[in-house]
Amino acid sequence: MSAPLPNLVHEPQKPTVSALALTLPVAMGYIPLGTVFGFLFVQAGGAWWLAVAASIFVYAGAAQYMMIPMLAAGMSVGSIVLATAIVNMRHVFYGLSLLNKMPQNPFLKWYLIFGLTDETYSLVTTMPQDCEPKKMVWVALINQGWWVLGTLMGALIGAQASSQLVGLDFALVALFCVLAVEQWRSRKSSAPLWVALASYAMAYPLLPSHAMVISIGLSVAAAVFLQRKDSTQEGVAP
Amino acid sequence: MIDSMYGLGAIAAMGVVTFALRATPFVASQWLKKHPMVQRLGQFLPLAIMTLLLIHSALGSIKQNPAGPWAELVAVALVGVLQWRSKNALLSILIGTGIYVFLRNWQG
Repeated sequence: MSAPLPNLVHEPQKPTVSALALTLPVAMGYIPLGTVFGFLFVQAGGAWWLAVAASIFVYAGAAQYMMIPMLAAGMSVGSIVLATAIVNMRHVFYGLSLLNKMPQNPFLKWYLIFGLTDETYSLVTTMPQDCEPKKMVWVALINQGWWVLGTLMGALIGAQASSQLVGLDFALVALFCVLAVEQWRSRKSSAPLWVALASYAMAYPLLPSHAMVISIGLSVAAAVFLQRKDSTQEGVAP
Repeated sequence: MIDSMYGLGAIAAMGVVTFALRATPFVASQWLKKHPMVQRLGQFLPLAIMTLLLIHSALGSIKQNPAGPWAELVAVALVGVLQWRSKNALLSILIGTGIYVFLRNWQG
């Protein structure tokens, strides 16, 4: 796969150019957040190219941020995979709104599916129904280009700097806070918040080092239990 | 140090899991539509998971700060209020992190 920008220069067609323009708001977020990811990854003791590899092959913001402390603590690949699956669970539903809107070419189609991040999903679903499918792929590819570019810059800065400042990794706490606020804003019920707090309060005194995995398990169990109860009360399926 | 082979293994596994999740509707849309429980879990879990990630990571910062939890509590509250009002993730993260770094480095 070639880099997006040189191709744009050789192929100055209108749809391609406007695909680039569409991604500019995403670039404003992906470049700085990618930079922070690359920086923290290298500061945590990872190689710069490993940070770039993560942005090329994983390409999932919150999961990539989450992997930094997990890798630094040497956690098992199994628990990293479990945590990734849970953080990215929401992606299972993104494709449902795009089933009839995909490019024919299988390579383009599977790349678009691979690149379906929160931001790409938002852009692609708001593009008009009759738009060129290729344009969706360009949007996905350019978005990933911004993310990889940011990661590379951050990783290179992080490899140079030996920072005396403590607390820069608070950016991760802030990111999770932002995501929690957005989930809260769009909530249908407040139960998930209370379930999570209760689960953590139970799990932490038991095993502080595994509090995250245990409380996720408890939350899933509570969700299944609560919804069984809901659906029996409602009687019929929705 | 993060061992590169270990890191590559984790990256490959995370990439496969993330791709599999994103591809699920394209191979199993019928199954997903038939199981409302899956959809409801998808609605329930994100807020729960984000709450857990927030508590867990904030607690991690608190444990590394000998001066106690005040800097963390102030900064998390600030990020929450900023995000609620502005809906600008980048602004909330940068200001919150900036204030936190300031509190940790220049306020004892």
